[in-house]
Amino acid sequence: MRAVFINPERCIGCLQCEFACAVEHSASKSESEAFLEVPVPRKRVHVEAGPTPTFAFPNRCRHCDPAPCLQVCPSGAIIRDDALGLVLVEPKRCIGCAMCAVVCPFDVLTFHPLADSPAEGVAVAVKCDGCEDRVRRGESPACAEVCKVDALVFGEINELVAAGRLRESGAVLAAAGATATELPGGDPLVGWHSWGAAREAAATAADQWTTGRTAMNAHGNNGQAGNDSPTGNGNKGEGR
Amino acid sequence: MSGSNGNGRARRLTINEDAQAMIDVARREGIETVWDRLEAQQPQCGYCALGLSCRNCAMGPCRIDPFGEGPQKGVCGAGADVIVARNLGRTIAAGSSSHSDHGRDILETFGALARGDTTGYQIADEAKLRRLADEVGVPTEGQTAQEVAVGLADALLDDYGTKKGSLSFIGRAPEARRALWAELGITPRGIDRENVEMLHRTHMGVDNDYVNTLLHALRTGLADGWGGSMIATELSDVMFGTPAPVMSEVNLGVLRTDQVNIAMHGHNPLLSDVIVAAAQDPELIELARSLGATGINVVGLCCTGNEMLMRRGVPMAGNHLMQELVLITGALEAMVVDYQCIMPSIVDVAKCYHTKIISTSDKAKFTGATHVSFDPQHGAEIAQQIVRMAVEAYADRNHERVRIPGKPVRMMGGFSVEAILGALGGTPKPLVDAIASGAIRGAVAVVGCNNPKLPQDLEHIELTQRLIENDVLVLVTGCAAVANGKAGHMVPEAAAMAGPGLRSVCEALGIPPVLHMGSCVDNSRVIALAAALADYLGVDIDKLPLAGAAPEWYSEKAVAIGSYVVASGITTVLGVQPAIFGSPNVVGLLAGGLDDVVGAKFVVEPDPAEAALWIRRLIEGKRRDLGLPFTEVVADALAPAASATPVGSRTGA
Repeated sequence: MRAVFINPERCIGCLQCEFACAVEHSASKSESEAFLEVPVPRKRVHVEAGPTPTFAFPNRCRHCDPAPCLQVCPSGAIIRDDALGLVLVEPKRCIGCAMCAVVCPFDVLTFHPLADSPAEGVAVAVKCDGCEDRVRRGESPACAEVCKVDALVFGEINELVAAGRLRESGAVLAAAGATATELPGGDPLVGWHSWGAAREAAATAADQWTTGRTAMNAHGNNGQAGNDSPTGNGNKGEGR
Repeated sequence: MSGSNGNGRARRLTINEDAQAMIDVARREGIETVWDRLEAQQPQCGYCALGLSCRNCAMGPCRIDPFGEGPQKGVCGAGADVIVARNLGRTIAAGSSSHSDHGRDILETFGALARGDTTGYQIADEAKLRRLADEVGVPTEGQTAQEVAVGLADALLDDYGTKKGSLSFIGRAPEARRALWAELGITPRGIDRENVEMLHRTHMGVDNDYVNTLLHALRTGLADGWGGSMIATELSDVMFGTPAPVMSEVNLGVLRTDQVNIAMHGHNPLLSDVIVAAAQDPELIELARSLGATGINVVGLCCTGNEMLMRRGVPMAGNHLMQELVLITGALEAMVVDYQCIMPSIVDVAKCYHTKIISTSDKAKFTGATHVSFDPQHGAEIAQQIVRMAVEAYADRNHERVRIPGKPVRMMGGFSVEAILGALGGTPKPLVDAIASGAIRGAVAVVGCNNPKLPQDLEHIELTQRLIENDVLVLVTGCAAVANGKAGHMVPEAAAMAGPGLRSVCEALGIPPVLHMGSCVDNSRVIALAAALADYLGVDIDKLPLAGAAPEWYSEKAVAIGSYVVASGITTVLGVQPAIFGSPNVVGLLAGGLDDVVGAKFVVEPDPAEAALWIRRLIEGKRRDLGLPFTEVVADALAPAASATPVGSRTGA
């Protein structure tokens, strides 16, 4: 089965996939015109920042089977294309009840008016259609095609999983103390990722700084002008 | 952690109670601020954050895959090194241009003043005027102040062109440093020339060697520090007075519930100086009284605020990240802006209140603001007009929405090089002696902006605290000065927070352990002071126990400052990652190899405790090399654990 496989550790947060997705789902299919269309075309992949702002995850429909959204849709607007392995929405039959969004484990459904909504301006369920037209033509889905860092890759799912397993085996062996896993030159993003972690640590430190000052003021320092600062040896920085 | 209540969130964004209170109000009332927009921008593009995207030409835009599997060259063939170096070069050219254009505005007004074509300006420091004229070779014997000023203006105007081939103030740098610049081919030849040449070099198909580009980037920075910024500082002193120690107050508490409040925001003292004068006009004060106010209260923001505080003791409302929050007090009749660091969003925030945003520079208009074109030839009249608009707006103030959090904190400003030497008795000797004896270990310039990616002011304050506790004198400018003022570091009593050596020196001189040297163009004062110390000791600047730090920098100007400070021989620690980490070679040069070339380099360290430790080791190493008493710096047991991975260091540089 061919599918889009996600390597979240490679995502660089450039949002190219979101842009390409919206263009692919436009009438003009033009990067310079799509955003002018009414209704404006909508992205179906969502890149959100991770636990620190320098990690990101391109979240898109997993095309589950059985698919909870398909199972709960009361109007039969969600169907399965068995040949391509895709779960698809038929906007004309959508009643906008959002049951699909309620049960989706990945929160990938959004609601917007589309050109083929039941009536003009009516919001319907919008989600990834696997770029079925492109795939039928033998092309990759738009998101995977534009991804320069292979955070989104289109191919035979078991082959992609196996390739990932091969990459990870080095880490597993290293964890067991067997061998070094360092790629030549190291992880090119390590500095960037640790900068994101440093920002989170700083925010936590700021919160604790305020707690420390509040506690100190409660102990009799009434914030006299020019002398209301804690010393540098407070309890800041724990929790890093 | 970020709780669901607004207060928990605000405490992760800023350590200032006045800012936390205003962020909570903004959240409750649905007013968008810089932190909301930063959140909406997540995740930010990694190619751009790493410096690996290029849109310098229409064959692109291009980006380089840092993982090595995707494209490794742009359409033109430029790889990561060239693209990162070109991007950094353009950033520095933009920063250098900003300071230098600010300097040119001062210089042009100074020239007009010299020719008698202005209102509202005078020569406030004739002695400095004559000193500067002597320095740059303008005749002063038997000349009137006006004649000297005409000559000085013309001489400095030549610094902007290429005809002269050098800068007037470059002679202030130690001889060894100038020889080094000449040897490297990075002596700045003209202020505008270096900026223009950087734009040329970074056009497709010009400078395709990253080392060559980066050397010119240093020259571009030097043209700012010893050129545009220095001219801005020196001529501002001549026109508005050379700063001397002065007391003031800081934080949002400087706003008055019963007065017309006018905030001056931006950078150029040309405007603020005449506004301060106009706010003392009896007729306008009477108008304010007739509308129910008890007076007119002018406060500062950002570097305009620093300019006014340094020379007039005008109270300071806050630094960069306070510019939206000051509007949310509901107590501001007008925010008068010129240029640089003024968020376009202030117009939107002001719409929620009666506050007028008044733009004044024809090169910096804000859609939705009221524009009053400022023209120094009619400076006094225009200032009157602006203050009148603000006073009239008081009638529209909704007093029920006024929320001014907290009480102001006292702070001292005014430490120009002249004032510091004056406090020392006219010679650097007492300071040099204190450094030599070890009472003061060294000096660090903590400078630069706020950046919403880091909690506002935490890095500035923590780094400064750890330095002064360890007997390191701290010099501050810009947003860093405001942060330290709010923390209470900038009153003479704060000497008690310093280590015993620094404390005794500060108490003997009656000065704070953290000295306010001015606005961001006034970083030229820092290098001038460093040069004076180096000359006194007969060594180059890089031998001195000095360092720079820009813990919360955000702007292109900050990168220009960093580059001239490093090129002048002072290692600089950055708290925010610059967009260069896509090229290990560029990182290796700036954070490593440069040390062997100019005796200084860049370090990236967002943890203030680690940064302080790093700086102390550097300073003690310089002391050892100078043959002064030194100590081995060991990690403070109370300090937070170092982050496991050195941030931004992937080359081990």
